[in-house]
Amino acid sequence: MNSIGMAVLIGLVAVFAMLDSRLLGRLNFEQPLITSTIIGIVLGNPAAGLASGATIELMSMGLVQVGAATPPDMVMGGIIATSFAILTGSDPETAVAIAIPIAVLGQLLGVTFRTIIAALGHRADVAIEKGNFREATNYHILWGTILYSTMYFVPVFLAIYLGTDFVQAVVDAIPAWITAGLNFAAKLLTAYGLALLLSMMASKGMMVFFLLGFFACAYLGLDVTGISIFGVLLALILLSIKGSGSAAAAGVDDDYDPLEDEDF
Amino acid sequence: MTDNTTAIQVSPNKRYSQYFWRSWAIQDSWNYERQMNMGFLYGIAPTIDRLYPDENDPEQVAKRKEAYERHMAFYNCTPQTSAFVLGLASSMEEEYARDPENFDPETINAVKTSLMGPLSGIGDSFFQGTIRTIAFGLGTALAMQGSILGPVLAMVISAAFSVPITWYAGKFGYEMGNSFLERLQSGAMEKIMYACGIVGLMAIGGMVATLIGITTPLTFSEGTVVLQDILNGIVPMVLDLGAVMGMYYLIKRNVKTTWMLAICILGGIALSAFGLLA
Repeated sequence: MNSIGMAVLIGLVAVFAMLDSRLLGRLNFEQPLITSTIIGIVLGNPAAGLASGATIELMSMGLVQVGAATPPDMVMGGIIATSFAILTGSDPETAVAIAIPIAVLGQLLGVTFRTIIAALGHRADVAIEKGNFREATNYHILWGTILYSTMYFVPVFLAIYLGTDFVQAVVDAIPAWITAGLNFAAKLLTAYGLALLLSMMASKGMMVFFLLGFFACAYLGLDVTGISIFGVLLALILLSIKGSGSAAAAGVDDDYDPLEDEDF
Repeated sequence: MTDNTTAIQVSPNKRYSQYFWRSWAIQDSWNYERQMNMGFLYGIAPTIDRLYPDENDPEQVAKRKEAYERHMAFYNCTPQTSAFVLGLASSMEEEYARDPENFDPETINAVKTSLMGPLSGIGDSFFQGTIRTIAFGLGTALAMQGSILGPVLAMVISAAFSVPITWYAGKFGYEMGNSFLERLQSGAMEKIMYACGIVGLMAIGGMVATLIGITTPLTFSEGTVVLQDILNGIVPMVLDLGAVMGMYYLIKRNVKTTWMLAICILGGIALSAFGLLA
């Protein structure tokens, strides 16, 4: 496959990842574990795609935020990083370090495009005023799709088409201590992602469940499946205990509400 | 009274599948100004078009314009739970078309606005917090062992919740209208959030213990005392817990994302280069 063809294919995977959140209610096809596996299949190396997908998924966990996200766009970053990792034979960790600046640039493009779409909203107001109803909904389903697809296709295509040789040269020049450092930095990024999830989920009185999950896995050797099953059972038990007064409602905010004692 | 014999009828399944697909597509024109406003309009447009189908009747065209304008207002909600609002708002639009004298159309946007906050809260913490964490925690663990089942399982779990919840949210919103709303407000919402919080937090705790893997290569007394072995004897995976709690503290202190990433990458390289952690 020539390099233009490859860059186009990876660009299309990027469009698919973007449309996951635009048209499929964020069904999670956009997650690095999925996009990396698809890129691995597209580039003829599924095992490498799967492995870098797992690494990048852990690094980006919690960083893929909802709506007006400003942290580096790890959906785009993950796609570019996996492609670099497979095309240049580098570590996924190293590839992410190179991909993040590109993802930040991609994010700037995202800000521009979301502003343009706000302007289209005013065109839609005018269209409704004139009675052009189909034109108004087309700004959403047609122009929205086109703009969001372009926003992902162009930077990913350019990064892969123009960047692979450059990235190869950079990867070859990186000394071993930096590679080891990036491998450790990837673990810290995983810790950061999990801490972000924790701060999103934990309200007052709920930290105990986080610690319960941690110690159950650390001491008893449970895996994530096991602890999730125990979590569901524990939630059912606690909900069935009425009037205990010790339970708190979990929320995205920090407010503390005693669990109401009513029929489910 | 508007003549409503003109309203076009459709089968319930057609209606629900429109709520379903158009709720999923609600972010297609997400923007900084009114966010998902055009997305909501796109969702409710077929309902409005069915209520006022006659393009030659000036009264119907005026009603249709009024309804389109109404749904261009600011809106933002998790796509899956937004299907409930779409179903409910559709049934309210139909009610208004049936009885324009006694139904104040302002209540439609009032209901949308009052529901989008709690439904975003519950939707985001359920889908982005609990379900994604568990699905991708499991999927990543499998993928690390080289199994293609990892990504497949992650998607199956995601879809197993997203698909039926979106479908039934739209259906319940339309069928039960306001009565369902009252039931949700009578404490069921807090209970669902509470259960999601427990499962999600326990899964995050489990992931901290199983997926990070920070170790220290430090040894003392010419290599006879290995620090990592001592730590394992006291609290296994304590370095992972320490790293996450340290990050959590910084996040709570509102340290900016850019700084956090710099700490992770530059701090990580430094700690590793000095041989303190790996």
